[in-house]
Amino acid sequence: MTSSQALPGARFVDPKILLRVGNLELLARHVVEGFINGLHRAPYFGASIDFAEHRGYVAGDDIRRVDWRVFARTDRFYVKQYEADTNTNVSVLLDVSRSMKFSNRGVPKLEYGCFVGACLAYLAQRQRDRVGLITFDNDIVSHVPPSAKHFNVVLHTMERARPERPGNLPIPLHKMAEHFRRRGILVLISDFYEEPDAVLEAIKPLKFLGNDLIVFHVLDPAEIDFGYEDASSFEDLETGEQIPVVPESLVREYRSMIQAHILALTTKFSEHRIDYTVLNTAEPLDRALFSYLSSRERLMRVR
Amino acid sequence: MAFLTPFFLLGLSAIAIPVLIHLIQREKKRVIEFPSLMFVRRIPYQSVRRRRIRHWALLLMRAAAIALIVAAFARPFIHQGTVAAAVGGGAREVVILLDQSASMGYGDHWSRARDAARAVVRGLGADDRATLVLFDKNAEENMRATSDRTRLEAAINAAHVGSGATRYGPALKLAESILSRSAIKRREAVLVSDFQRSGWSGSEEVRFPEGMTVSTVSVASPNSANLAVPSVTFARASFSGQERITVTAGLSNKGDEPLKDVPVTLTIDGHEIQTERATVAPHAAGSVTFAQFTLTGPNVRGSVRAGADLLPADNIFHFVLAPSEPVSLAIVDSGDRSDGSLFLSKALSIGTTPTFHVDVASASRVTPTAFDKRAVAVLNDTMFPPAGGGGVLKRFLERGGGLLVVTGDHTTWPPGEAELLPGRLGATVDRTSGRSGSLGYLDYSHPVFEVFKAPRSGDFSAAHVFRYRALQTLPTDRILARFDDGAIAAAERKVGAGRAIVWTSTLDDSWTDIGVKPIFLPLVHQLVRYLAHYEPATSWFTVGQVLDLTARAKGRADKSDRIVVTPSGERISQSSAGEGSEGLLELNEQGVYEVRSSGAAAGRPEAIAVNLEPAESDLASIDPRELVAAVTGHATLVEAQPAQAQEMTREESERRQSLWWYLLMAGLLLLAAETVISNHLSRKERFL
Repeated sequence: MTSSQALPGARFVDPKILLRVGNLELLARHVVEGFINGLHRAPYFGASIDFAEHRGYVAGDDIRRVDWRVFARTDRFYVKQYEADTNTNVSVLLDVSRSMKFSNRGVPKLEYGCFVGACLAYLAQRQRDRVGLITFDNDIVSHVPPSAKHFNVVLHTMERARPERPGNLPIPLHKMAEHFRRRGILVLISDFYEEPDAVLEAIKPLKFLGNDLIVFHVLDPAEIDFGYEDASSFEDLETGEQIPVVPESLVREYRSMIQAHILALTTKFSEHRIDYTVLNTAEPLDRALFSYLSSRERLMRVR
Repeated sequence: MAFLTPFFLLGLSAIAIPVLIHLIQREKKRVIEFPSLMFVRRIPYQSVRRRRIRHWALLLMRAAAIALIVAAFARPFIHQGTVAAAVGGGAREVVILLDQSASMGYGDHWSRARDAARAVVRGLGADDRATLVLFDKNAEENMRATSDRTRLEAAINAAHVGSGATRYGPALKLAESILSRSAIKRREAVLVSDFQRSGWSGSEEVRFPEGMTVSTVSVASPNSANLAVPSVTFARASFSGQERITVTAGLSNKGDEPLKDVPVTLTIDGHEIQTERATVAPHAAGSVTFAQFTLTGPNVRGSVRAGADLLPADNIFHFVLAPSEPVSLAIVDSGDRSDGSLFLSKALSIGTTPTFHVDVASASRVTPTAFDKRAVAVLNDTMFPPAGGGGVLKRFLERGGGLLVVTGDHTTWPPGEAELLPGRLGATVDRTSGRSGSLGYLDYSHPVFEVFKAPRSGDFSAAHVFRYRALQTLPTDRILARFDDGAIAAAERKVGAGRAIVWTSTLDDSWTDIGVKPIFLPLVHQLVRYLAHYEPATSWFTVGQVLDLTARAKGRADKSDRIVVTPSGERISQSSAGEGSEGLLELNEQGVYEVRSSGAAAGRPEAIAVNLEPAESDLASIDPRELVAAVTGHATLVEAQPAQAQEMTREESERRQSLWWYLLMAGLLLLAAETVISNHLSRKERFL
């Protein structure tokens, strides 16, 4: 996991401050512009108009793409081959189940997920990619098909998203797998309260279609360190079940279990070449952006 | 179990308060929303269940505390049916007089007396107070006024029979004093004793005011037979330069039956010397004389034991023997007659306690050394011896010697030695014409004449005096005797530590016929004993006497500290330089005391024999009514009995048991514990 501090010149903005902005577009622009301006160079940017290679002319090729300079030197016809189509589909898959409304004196996970989704959508939109959104809980809640003109719709849909129902990853993800016909980049934002095997089983169909999958695991600091002191009744936001808990007696076990869960997800996702990033809602958004961009770069290199 | 104020039990409904609070607080408990309890659910629930159990324990503690406090206010008591309660109404001030004199050791008298005292204690009411006084010859407040029956019974259990004689006077006076100080109206003295007649003379002048009663518990046994050894006498005889002692033990039989063939054993220094058989008639006395034995040294311990009966303490008589030391005299006469000191020397040759060692010399021949190591010097109708001049006689007197000046025709006294003679000698008075003179006045308070004080103890008037020397004394001189004409017959002057006595007539047949009168011998013996500071060796003491060890140690070279070992083995340290009561030893136990000098080398320690008072052997009892009548002024007798069984009132039962106090304390302690525990838990469990 790369630390955000490793990024030179990155501009960190406290998510709590972003929460006051209220306008997702403004927020996304502010974050992304700040993030990009902070970079000394942009090695991952503008790849879609770069030259890739030459190949021999075949009948039917557009003669405008013949490289005449090469013909002059070699007396053969070569056609310039450019990078693949830069206009790819970027779909944000946002978990809006009830567990995502949790916040412990900070930014709710859903809000944080929206920030991440909006920033990535803004980035994609600036790259002329088509942006779409699917929100889901135990089913698909809303669907914004990827389109170059849907950026505002995506933001609007995100603002309207409300965590109302319990979550269940397999059902909506299977439906999505049936829906996606074209390869694209899928950004999955969730808190993954499922067994790691079940999560992977749910995600696999998306991967089989040739989609590039970027997974963001959004967690509140309280979910990671379980920093409660008083014995209380804990209510499961998903099921409504209440359990009296003495945090002091189980904090150590809880922490080891959540770390084991994260480790299992990391292992399984990396086995299937899926980018996986744990996002702490108390940390700035740049880690998500960095993870996205590095993923894009990697995708380009392996092509 | 019953309750004095059962209405307070309605307060038990308050137990519902913590339950209600508990239930209400359960509803209001804080709930924390958490995204998923997926992991929490996997952790075992024990911790949660334990917390719940603790919670119920707290609830129970609160409920129990409230129940205990409510029960305390309801004043619970255990109904015990009929229990002993004080007769009559109101609190009592009781003084228990428990006789612990030696006679209480007879048979089961002591155990019965203690049982009776315990019964009195058990009969005390909750508000009654009692004082325990143990008495024999003296009375001692053993346990001050208290309502604590446990302490009183413990004090009774700890008491034991002593060796003292019985005296009711001091005990009753102490009881009267204690009762007089009490503010309680009902005052009562309970006398538990064997009511020995010897303990009450009737002249004790003890009078209880109105309102005070005397109860008696008599433990005396009718027809109590008792054999005692009340005394032992010694006959001393000298044989081959050694002193031989014949011991005669007196026996007394206070019973109605004759005692036949009673073994009487003489023990000397732990060895049984001889056992004789004796028969003593009822209510009579007898004696047993043992064979002579030779006295080998000082501090020889002996005892006589006679038979065995229910009062063993008076069946043994202890004594300590020491060889008698003779009183050494130097008689100085004129030397004109060979038998000038015949009467004196003959009179002094008789006597065993003490024996007298007499040397006679004429005044002209006597040397200054003749007065050395002498106890008494007698100048018998002689001129002042030249050897006594120059301060020799004066120094002799000042170091404690005795001087007897017997005047006659030859008596002269130099003016330079006038301070040694009690008065100034005058002319000879002749009473041969007419009626002869006689002794008309004797100072019976003086030790010399004290033994003649009793009637028929010596007729001095029978002696005729025909001549005597006139004597003119100083006011500081003491006149011991006068003739019938008022002239001085004997006078005394103290010179330094010594004593000088002048006898103004002769002590032979020349000027008087006193030498042939019966009083002559005891008179001469008394004069010499007094002048020699003779103190007969005491072979035994009686319980209760006080001994001045400092005085006994005077004249001894050993000045180190003393350790006294009592017959019971107790060790008492005494400083040799002790002043006041430091050197005094109260002889409270029967047996032999040992006095050891801490710096002394090995050897026989000084022994002091102590015996019971002979009257203690007489178990004849008086009628308790007689004693009560003498003390209270009216012939009513309240026989102290264990308090009659009465149905105690509920209030009395509750007051005696005072269970409310324990319940209240338990409730408060429970609340305190609950506070501590709940504070501790609430740090973890805020929603309790």
